[in-house]
Amino acid sequence: MPGRSTPARNLRLVIVLVGILVAWTGLGYRLVGVQALDAARWEASGSAQWVREEALPAVRGTIYDRDGIELAVTVDAVTVVADPSLVTRPRLTARLVAPVVGLKRAELVAKLAADSRFAYVARGISADTADHIERLIERHELTGLSFITEPVRTYPAGTLASQVVGFVMSDTEQGLEGLELVLDEHLTGTPGTQVIERDRFGVPIPQGMYTIEPAVQGADVVLTIDREIQYAAERYLTEALETTGAAAGTVVVQHVATGELLAVASAPGFDPNNRTEISPETVRNRAVADVYEPGSTLKVVTIAAALDEGLVTPSSRFDVPDELLIHDKVYTDTGRTGPEEMTLARIVARSSNIGTIAVQQLLGNRLHHQYLERFGLGESTTSGMPGEAPGQLQPVEQWCSTTCGPSTAIGYRVGVTPLQMAAVFATIANGGVWVQPHIVSEIIPSSGERIVTVPVQRSVISEDTARTMQLMLQGVVDSGTGTRAAVDGYTVGGKTGTTEKWMPEEVRYSATARIASFIGFAPVNDPQVVIAVVLDSPHGDVPGSSPNSLGEYPRFEFGGVSAAPVFASVAEATLHQLGVPPDGS
Amino acid sequence: MAITSARPLGLLQRERALRPDLLLVLPYLALAAFGVLMVYTASAPRLSASGADPGFLMKRQAVFAVVGMVVFVVASMIESRPLKGKVPLIYLGTLVLLLLVLTPLGASRLGANRWIELGPFQLQPSEFAKLGVILALAALLSESVEGPLRWHHLARTAVLMGIPSVLIFLQPDLGTMLVFAFIAATVLFVAGTTWRQLVFLVLVAVVGTIGLLQANALKDYQLTRIVAFMDDTSDLSATANYNQEQSVTAIGSGGFLGKGLLQGTQTNLSFVPEQETDFIFTAVGEQLGFVGAVTVLALYLVLIWRLLVASANARDRFSQLLAVGVAALMVFHVFVNVGMTLRVMPVTGLPLPFLSSGGSAFIAMSAALGLGHGVWMRRSPVPGERQLL
Repeated sequence: MPGRSTPARNLRLVIVLVGILVAWTGLGYRLVGVQALDAARWEASGSAQWVREEALPAVRGTIYDRDGIELAVTVDAVTVVADPSLVTRPRLTARLVAPVVGLKRAELVAKLAADSRFAYVARGISADTADHIERLIERHELTGLSFITEPVRTYPAGTLASQVVGFVMSDTEQGLEGLELVLDEHLTGTPGTQVIERDRFGVPIPQGMYTIEPAVQGADVVLTIDREIQYAAERYLTEALETTGAAAGTVVVQHVATGELLAVASAPGFDPNNRTEISPETVRNRAVADVYEPGSTLKVVTIAAALDEGLVTPSSRFDVPDELLIHDKVYTDTGRTGPEEMTLARIVARSSNIGTIAVQQLLGNRLHHQYLERFGLGESTTSGMPGEAPGQLQPVEQWCSTTCGPSTAIGYRVGVTPLQMAAVFATIANGGVWVQPHIVSEIIPSSGERIVTVPVQRSVISEDTARTMQLMLQGVVDSGTGTRAAVDGYTVGGKTGTTEKWMPEEVRYSATARIASFIGFAPVNDPQVVIAVVLDSPHGDVPGSSPNSLGEYPRFEFGGVSAAPVFASVAEATLHQLGVPPDGS
Repeated sequence: MAITSARPLGLLQRERALRPDLLLVLPYLALAAFGVLMVYTASAPRLSASGADPGFLMKRQAVFAVVGMVVFVVASMIESRPLKGKVPLIYLGTLVLLLLVLTPLGASRLGANRWIELGPFQLQPSEFAKLGVILALAALLSESVEGPLRWHHLARTAVLMGIPSVLIFLQPDLGTMLVFAFIAATVLFVAGTTWRQLVFLVLVAVVGTIGLLQANALKDYQLTRIVAFMDDTSDLSATANYNQEQSVTAIGSGGFLGKGLLQGTQTNLSFVPEQETDFIFTAVGEQLGFVGAVTVLALYLVLIWRLLVASANARDRFSQLLAVGVAALMVFHVFVNVGMTLRVMPVTGLPLPFLSSGGSAFIAMSAALGLGHGVWMRRSPVPGERQLL
């Protein structure tokens, strides 16, 4: 039947067309929703996946000694990485490469055969090692290994001042110990941001990279440390640990006029480039972290206070018995057999406990305590090194009226750090002015103002008192307990110290262990440096020595025997390094 | 189905001067030209990034378009009666092609055997099979000239559709099976199913779907796509929904006016997979925005409307059902494809007619559209055309 379709069929075509219009309306409705109402959201989620903000790393600042020699520096080091999925012969590769990078073969096989796309083979290797591995790769056609450069913190000076400088976390370069920790904020710098446009496969698009904010490089830090003096201090300290059998020790060298710390040495030490040596014992910066009872070296405060108050003169005479009973405690002097009349100078030179107690009785607890505080005891020197202890100085109100004053006068009942004691002696050497000891000379940001350390100063005793003390302390070295501290060609003043070691765990003094110290300055006529030497538990007879007049053999337990020679060696090296002209015999 | 005629006509023999339907031809040409442009914008950045000629796919698509247009013109000229006589042959040829795909001659890509290698080109027989099925349906159902369809028509339709469906299912190509079903339903409806028969067909569709799911007859990826589509929060959706997530993101980021040609960051950066083929609509939506997307949908609507008008004015039953079948083919492809890019339809591999890159689809669609156009050109000589709405 040729001809037009029937009205019934036509109706069905209309129904079909209406259905289509409904479907198209649905698509249009969805389009309005997606493109008009939600467009901003899709736009945002679209750019989020191809535009990425990434951090521009900031290079960590360098730590220099006072002469610009690098102590800690970040360098680009070569790191060998593997894509295990591309390593076709893990066993052969491990056999060849493992010895070169110092890994066990099985260890490396495990890494190379892992079911992953990334593994570190060796981080921060030398250029020579990298060349070696590259030759192996070429010769044996090894696959899956590649080289990348990574910033690596290295310590060119090795063990030198390692407890002061500290170290960083190897992965993130975040400061973990020492100045690397406390100055982390300055050294780290501020990472910048850059925008990288990437395609679906993460490949950066050319011209799709721009910097929003440049990275601010980390600030450089210049220390007051003198590498040569630091080296001498560490060398003689380490030798002393061997000869005296001391468990540990510390040497502080402080410049008198400025408070600059020329050397801060602790032993045992570690090499920050070799993480296996790191332990709480070796990392400890003993000059500021170890608190000990200073013993006789603290007598200088008692004597200086009495002098400054005009209570005594160097020639004041005291009747000094060989024993003194106060309350329940008997004080004695080493090597004494009977009562003796002593001048103040003699009391200092002989390091007489009973004589010093007599002086303290003139002074009284309140004045005594005042001077201890003014010399900086009981509070941190704020030298800038981390972990600095404030020490312990009991408020005078809590002192007992019996033995507290006398015991404090001879250096017990007070907790100090070696650095605090160095600062006490520096005050005397500096004409009575306490200068804040400090380790950071200046911080040099990549842009902006340098931060130069200006040390705090305060007058503690008069210049006359200081001068009198200097001369009396010279007597200690010339003819007293500290003769072993003498330095050829220079006049030296100082004080020995020997105390029983307090055992905190057992809450008693050790029967055998001693803290031996010597703190002194040179030259006496124009003091340039103060050197504090503190040894923990030196012991034994001095080999090849002769007995004294009382038939006693010198023992390393005494500061004058073990610590004073270290002082002499370090002082000689320091004076030469600083070019100080000789002033003595 | 023998054709008896007093004056046998050749396939291309003309009775009188034919005039083209510009409302159909112009949108077709516009879509074809636009498709070439879109293929370029969707593929050039990726091609140039890999060092290839950025215009490679665009040029290839232009060649397909020219061939397709020639096919369109030729198909427009074909007389309906001699064509109806060749339908059994065409139907058998279609089955042979579908069988060939399953032999070693067939090429496998992305886990499916849908192509036959022909030198540098791959022929996709399923695209031509859609036209074969339309012709077969039109020929079969045009036998019943008056009154409602009989149940035996439904049974014969089922057999006619079933054979190619099984072959398609073996490829597998779920999308094409759904195209067959939609075309069959539409043509049956217009051919005059009773309401009772309609209810029966709906029941068969529901039972068939459940049966397919129960029998685990679907491939894992097909199930995954459907589950992921229906449940955004399922674990599967993270990967299975990736394409659609990217596609909606790209279209949405186009906004009202779009980002401009070659300014589509999502498209340029190849975030949208298959973006010059199945997901070409995302390139339109991102670069030309709501305006561009609606324009494209409007062009399709005009094409489909003209096919239905042709059907309404057809001079014989076969032509009428042929035009409806072609309209149904277009409707299903456009709606499912665009719906897929807008995440209102699950992912199926149906190209967008005349826009998606690819030769088989373009040529087969052009042939189908040309046949529908021919129905209009040889419409009933009775004055006064029905415009439907």
